[in-house]
Amino acid sequence: MRLILHYLKRYKGWFVLDFLSVFGFALAELGLPTMVAEMIDGGIMQGDPAAIWQAGRVCAVIAVVGVAGTVLLGFCCARLSTNITADIREEVFRKAQTFSHAEFGKFGIASMITRTNNDAFQIQLFLNALFRTALMTPVMMCASFILTLRASPRLSVIVIATFPLIVLGVVLVSKWSRPVSEQQQTSQDNMNRITRENLTGVRVVRAFNNDAREQARFEAENERYTKASRRMFKLMMMTQPVFFLVMNFAVCLIFWFGGHLLQLGQIEIGQLTAFMDYLFHAMFSILMFSMVFMIYPKAAVSARRIQAVLDTQPLVQDPKDGETLSGPVEEITFSHVSFTYPEGGGEILHDISLSIRRGETVAFVGSTGSGKSALVSLLPRFYDVTKGSVRVNGTDVRQFHLQSLRRAIGFVPQKAFLFSGTIADNIRFGKEDATDEEVVHAAEVAQAEDFIRAKPGGFAAPIAENAANVSGGQRQRLSIARALVRKPAVYVFDDSFSALDFQTDLNLRRALRKETGDAIVLIVAQRISTVMDADRIFVLDHGSIVGQGRHEELLDTCPVYREIAASQLNTAELAGGKGVLS
Amino acid sequence: MKRKWKHASAPLSALLPYLAPQRWVFLLSIVFVVAQALLYSLSPVIEGSVTTQLASDAADMAAGVPGAHIQFDRILPILTTLLTLYLGKTACQAAATITLTNATQETMRALRSAVQKKIHALPVQYFDTHPYGDILSRITNDVDTLSSALQQTLLNIINGLLGIVLAITMMFQLNARLALIALIILPMALLITGIVVHFSQKQFAAQQTAIGDLNARVTELYTGYHEILLYNKQEAVVKEFHAVNEKLRRCGFRAQFGSSLISPCISLVTYLVIGTVATLGALAALEGTLAVGSLQAFIRYIWQLNDPLSQISQLSAQIQSAFAAARRVTAFLSQEEEGIDAPGAKGLKKVRGEVTFEDVHFGYGSREILHGLSFTAKPGQTVAIVGPTGAGKTTIINLLLRFYEIQSGRILLDGHDIRSLPREDLRRAFGMVLQDTWLFSGSLLENLRYGRPDAPLADVISAAKGANVHDFILSAGGYDALVNEEGDNISQGEKQLLTIARAVLRDPPVLILDEATSSVDTRLEKRLQGAMQKMMEGRTCLVIAHRLSTIRNADLILVLRDGRIVEQGKHDELLKKDGAYAALYNAQFQGKEI
Repeated sequence: MRLILHYLKRYKGWFVLDFLSVFGFALAELGLPTMVAEMIDGGIMQGDPAAIWQAGRVCAVIAVVGVAGTVLLGFCCARLSTNITADIREEVFRKAQTFSHAEFGKFGIASMITRTNNDAFQIQLFLNALFRTALMTPVMMCASFILTLRASPRLSVIVIATFPLIVLGVVLVSKWSRPVSEQQQTSQDNMNRITRENLTGVRVVRAFNNDAREQARFEAENERYTKASRRMFKLMMMTQPVFFLVMNFAVCLIFWFGGHLLQLGQIEIGQLTAFMDYLFHAMFSILMFSMVFMIYPKAAVSARRIQAVLDTQPLVQDPKDGETLSGPVEEITFSHVSFTYPEGGGEILHDISLSIRRGETVAFVGSTGSGKSALVSLLPRFYDVTKGSVRVNGTDVRQFHLQSLRRAIGFVPQKAFLFSGTIADNIRFGKEDATDEEVVHAAEVAQAEDFIRAKPGGFAAPIAENAANVSGGQRQRLSIARALVRKPAVYVFDDSFSALDFQTDLNLRRALRKETGDAIVLIVAQRISTVMDADRIFVLDHGSIVGQGRHEELLDTCPVYREIAASQLNTAELAGGKGVLS
Repeated sequence: MKRKWKHASAPLSALLPYLAPQRWVFLLSIVFVVAQALLYSLSPVIEGSVTTQLASDAADMAAGVPGAHIQFDRILPILTTLLTLYLGKTACQAAATITLTNATQETMRALRSAVQKKIHALPVQYFDTHPYGDILSRITNDVDTLSSALQQTLLNIINGLLGIVLAITMMFQLNARLALIALIILPMALLITGIVVHFSQKQFAAQQTAIGDLNARVTELYTGYHEILLYNKQEAVVKEFHAVNEKLRRCGFRAQFGSSLISPCISLVTYLVIGTVATLGALAALEGTLAVGSLQAFIRYIWQLNDPLSQISQLSAQIQSAFAAARRVTAFLSQEEEGIDAPGAKGLKKVRGEVTFEDVHFGYGSREILHGLSFTAKPGQTVAIVGPTGAGKTTIINLLLRFYEIQSGRILLDGHDIRSLPREDLRRAFGMVLQDTWLFSGSLLENLRYGRPDAPLADVISAAKGANVHDFILSAGGYDALVNEEGDNISQGEKQLLTIARAVLRDPPVLILDEATSSVDTRLEKRLQGAMQKMMEGRTCLVIAHRLSTIRNADLILVLRDGRIVEQGKHDELLKKDGAYAALYNAQFQGKEI
């Protein structure tokens, strides 16, 4: 729980106030019985009505002060728990913004979302209980102990004897409940997983007639979960009666020995009744504490998950005194680059060396898993090389200030993500201060203008959540427009024409050619037709370059290229090279 | 008020079938709870009588009455009674806990099972029209909410209500005048709760909205992290997040502080009442009209009133969410199920694999998708279906496997109307490789055997080899390697190969390939072609593909557009026709000359 402690430091003042206001609560809970004892001993036993009235007035004061304390406690507790939780969320989100692909891949986006929202919420629930209830326990215990001691040191021995019993009980329960709670959590996760699988795979499950089998799989897990839950609840709910029984025994003992003390004149009857009340309230506060124990395991898991995010050092770091990349990019060089994904697996790229000059359009082709996407992802430093170096204008990319490096690159990823907002907002994401003309021009080049104009509202048309209101191809074109509006020095198209039909693909490349001018253009593609007009084509196979040159040259010299081409074009087209359709 | 209650109780009655098997156990636990509450409410009186005895003895001693002493012979039997009472109360409480836990957890197990079963009974259409995150949360969160409500709230409510009634009864027994004063707590508590809840409800609603906003922002900003990185927008999104987070911080604080007010406000009333009762009671004791022990017992009863009242706010929130959860669960459970098999549906023994569509009309809702579709795939033939997106290609598969029911016309398998066949038998005739590659988290072997759990390992391996995925399996750690939860340790292409192997292993008379190789690159696909060809041999195949190169060898190509067959024939014939098919085919290879 060092996570909570860390943030608690910021709110020392509130914490102190929170702690102080607990005394208000203790004052009321313990002060009232004391005053009642006063009435009995000083009033009834002495036959003095004035003492009773006096005690009654004190009761009223205690009530008001005590409640004021409790209200303040609620205020401080709400402040502390909401503030700390908000701080944690903020910190997690800030941390996430320093992450590179490797870290997002490691945690998973769904898990990052859960960590930022739900896990933080679990901690808030726990903090709530902690600051309100858990702090009461020590205060109430100490205060009631002092009061019992004052009333009768000899009787308080009985009270002292119950404390270790209770503490032992709390420790035992938390110890026993831990594995059960973990089992419960695991089973629940498994059940959820099976349900999720059954929902996403509903067609396959039905087509294979496996409904009964899936149900049986679920039942087995359900049975395990029920068993664990039953044990867990019994364990938790038995705590209270057992604690009360301990207290009840103590009450009987106090009556018995209290009677003897009374006989000896060492205690007064009012004190004896107050004694019982002290015990009752101290016991109750311990019970409340055991409630905190019930939510602790869940909060601890959440805290660990959050801590894991905060402790992660992003693999791609912004250099301290980085150079700023500005002006045109003259040359991009890969020298002896090898690369393995940080999460492991085999080497994706082996000893790649190549160099691209200003004004060139270069394409990378190869099978799935050949490493062509990995290669271009090294340029904007989504990942860093394992060996060798990637250099821009002769300087290693790792020495540039990250922002300046990425500003120079217009990268269009395979899976385009659009944000909720208007179409224009999404295009301006590439350049905040783009004029309307620039936005329209970018859309025009990206072959997006027609469909944008066709939408109600045109450029002001909203993009729905998850871009549900645009097709895959439209999404890709908007993503391209977003990159174009920046007019970067280097364009990277990472398989970003795949959802376009062939005619649009063709029109787009024609328009791009004019637009990109003397910038460097890197194209990663599956389709031969997309890359055949590039200045140079690199053919990758299993992480190595197995051919380079123009389309016609490669058809002659590179068997892998020929094989790819043959899988997409027919013989006449292959032979003719530039021939029209058969 | 009454109507509200009736409205709220409706979903509960739908849950009754799940509670019913446990009704005796529930009843038993309620008996225990009642017994426990009775014993609990008796104890202050008996404790008080000890005090009274001690006090009168002490007073006698103080007054110097001769022979006055603490009469232990009188106290001992009272203490024995008290101890018995305590033990009895604890035993009842334990028994109540055990029985209630057993009954509740058993009920919840049955309910979870029922919900899961429902998933398997609903028509596929339901899943196509409802976001699955929504269904998932219904099953997990809602059932969980119900479970904890039943487990904790039920006990607390019965206990609390009984406690209040019994405490009041006992108070009137002890002293009617003081009891009337103490009774003020009840209306005051209700009033305070009403006022605070009224105000904090708005705060809670605001908090809920703020949580929703935050969730939506976080989801979008994390999902789009790639773009944020690329466009250096980290600073901007941190600011954006900060704004929603601050809003939640404010709303959360208000909601929490507001609801925390109930308990101290009720306590204020309780404290003041205790002060008043103690003062008046002590004065009465002074006059000799009230025993000291009774005063002690009386005050203890007031404390007993306070606790359940302070819990009201928490309980009411829990009950409300439980009702909401119950409503959602029952709404799900009452969805219309996939029709049961026609009575007297005859099983199919041996399937030859002839598939016939006869003037099939079908639409989702009011929009008709297929307008009178007719074709026949003879046993062993390969029929390819091509056409632009939205032409209704995938719908054909939905209908064939009876995921959806046709509106008019007939679909025949070996001459039998598929509606006259048991669904199990119908579906057993098909093997499917879909675009959406679904694997479950288990070993690769289990996944491959999904369609034939008893397949010998040798068959599994030969199927894997046929699908060109054997080498991958070996490199991934062998057949016992696990598919992880997200399935992201296997690439999309490899997943597709695995699903092909899975379908091959099943050895079905009719094979359906829906964009089966869409995630496999063309070069690998070319290499796969031999295996695919072998797999398709000797069985009827329905192939849907957007890559036309994969269907050149089909026996029959159907060109679908807007739910109608616009052309059909073989590849060469259709190309010669220079119609829709030729246009589609040519579009694929255009644009290579710039």
